[in-house]
Amino acid sequence: MSQLKKYSEEQLVSALQSKDRTALEYLYDNYSAALYGRVINIVKTKEFADEVLQDGFLQVWNKIDIYDNERSRLFTWMFNIFRNLAIDKVRSKEFRNEKKTDDIESIVYDVENNDEQDTDGIGVKELLYTLNEEQQFIVKQVYFKGYSHSEVSKEYDIPLGTVKTRLRQSLILLRKILKVE
Amino acid sequence: MSEKEIIESGRLEAYVLGELSEMESQEIYALAQSNEEIREEIERIELTLEKMAMKTAIMPDQKLKNSIFQQIPEKEKVIPKKAETKIIPLSVYLAAASIALFLITGILAINYRIKWKQTEERLSSLITQNQSIAQDYNRVNQRLDELETGFEIVNNSSFSKVVMPGTEGAPDAIASVYWNENSDEVYLSIQNLKQLSKEQQYQLWAIVDGVPVDAGIFNGDENSPIIKMKSVAGIASAFAVTIEPNGGSDSPSLETMQVYGEVSEET
Repeated sequence: MSQLKKYSEEQLVSALQSKDRTALEYLYDNYSAALYGRVINIVKTKEFADEVLQDGFLQVWNKIDIYDNERSRLFTWMFNIFRNLAIDKVRSKEFRNEKKTDDIESIVYDVENNDEQDTDGIGVKELLYTLNEEQQFIVKQVYFKGYSHSEVSKEYDIPLGTVKTRLRQSLILLRKILKVE
Repeated sequence: MSEKEIIESGRLEAYVLGELSEMESQEIYALAQSNEEIREEIERIELTLEKMAMKTAIMPDQKLKNSIFQQIPEKEKVIPKKAETKIIPLSVYLAAASIALFLITGILAINYRIKWKQTEERLSSLITQNQSIAQDYNRVNQRLDELETGFEIVNNSSFSKVVMPGTEGAPDAIASVYWNENSDEVYLSIQNLKQLSKEQQYQLWAIVDGVPVDAGIFNGDENSPIIKMKSVAGIASAFAVTIEPNGGSDSPSLETMQVYGEVSEET
């Protein structure tokens, strides 16, 4: 976020909505790394992360007209688009086939053991450093690996309500580190 | 739920992450419109997630940017160029308008037809549902009637109860007769009788003046708690149930007697 802000969020959205290519470029320069980080955590291989990043930006470009700033911040909206694309990719046949034949070699990124590619100096591990084990687990599953609340609840036998409140407690702790007022 | 409870429940986080159902999501959205506290909390959650993403960002290859932007049309300026003011004849406008109108009505008609179809499907499924509920209701009602009749008879003091315990051949069997001496009515209540084959039926006998009198046949698997049997004239001294071929017999086969009970004299 060191780049100079040329646009306010409002200006950026309206520029995008009038199909201004430089606005998309600005969006890409400012957010692609943040989104790419999310995506690669979910799909785990560079090849698929690249595909999702492309599809995602094209979708943002094509769907910007339905973005409603009353409903969410622009980043949240994009975040959910990329997250859903990444999850779809993981579930797709192509992905499963690939995993079978290429096995471990194609997996270049995993939240649990690899965060050396981070650009912003701080990795997932350091970010989650102050959380206890339970909280780290929930944040990793839901936020970084992209599992739904109900998937985590079912898979690890944690009540849905507990998943929600535990995630909340974790995010509140993270607010302090991230200086969210 | 109070505003605090909603915030504490973690639902707002789920809302931001797109985890809620459409309905729940609308609910939170509406709430955020009217409630400052909730709106601000949602914003804080969004900012947290955003900053988490920034902190753990990973730079994609530069060539990826190029390949994305190759797919974005170079110039799609929406800013209208000063349109050369050509004079377009009115008829062209009218033609365009009528085509547009035609298309719009067409789309609307199709739309309505789809909605109408959907409504019709839902209606017919509701009707079916309704019918099955009505059937259930009738069944329950019938059952209630039977239970009421049974209860009345059991409670009616003009009926005397004759318990028929199992015979040697069927020690576990047991059934009871409710018999009204004045009206000659006979009711049977089965406590435990074994299941018969299709070729067989149970037959109730009343012993009147030492002679077995047919009091009707039954299958033994009746649902009603109490079964109305044939009336028995005269003073019965005992009742018994035997197994007979389908349709019953004129005289009982004693070797198949399942239960037998004598009328007590005290009444």
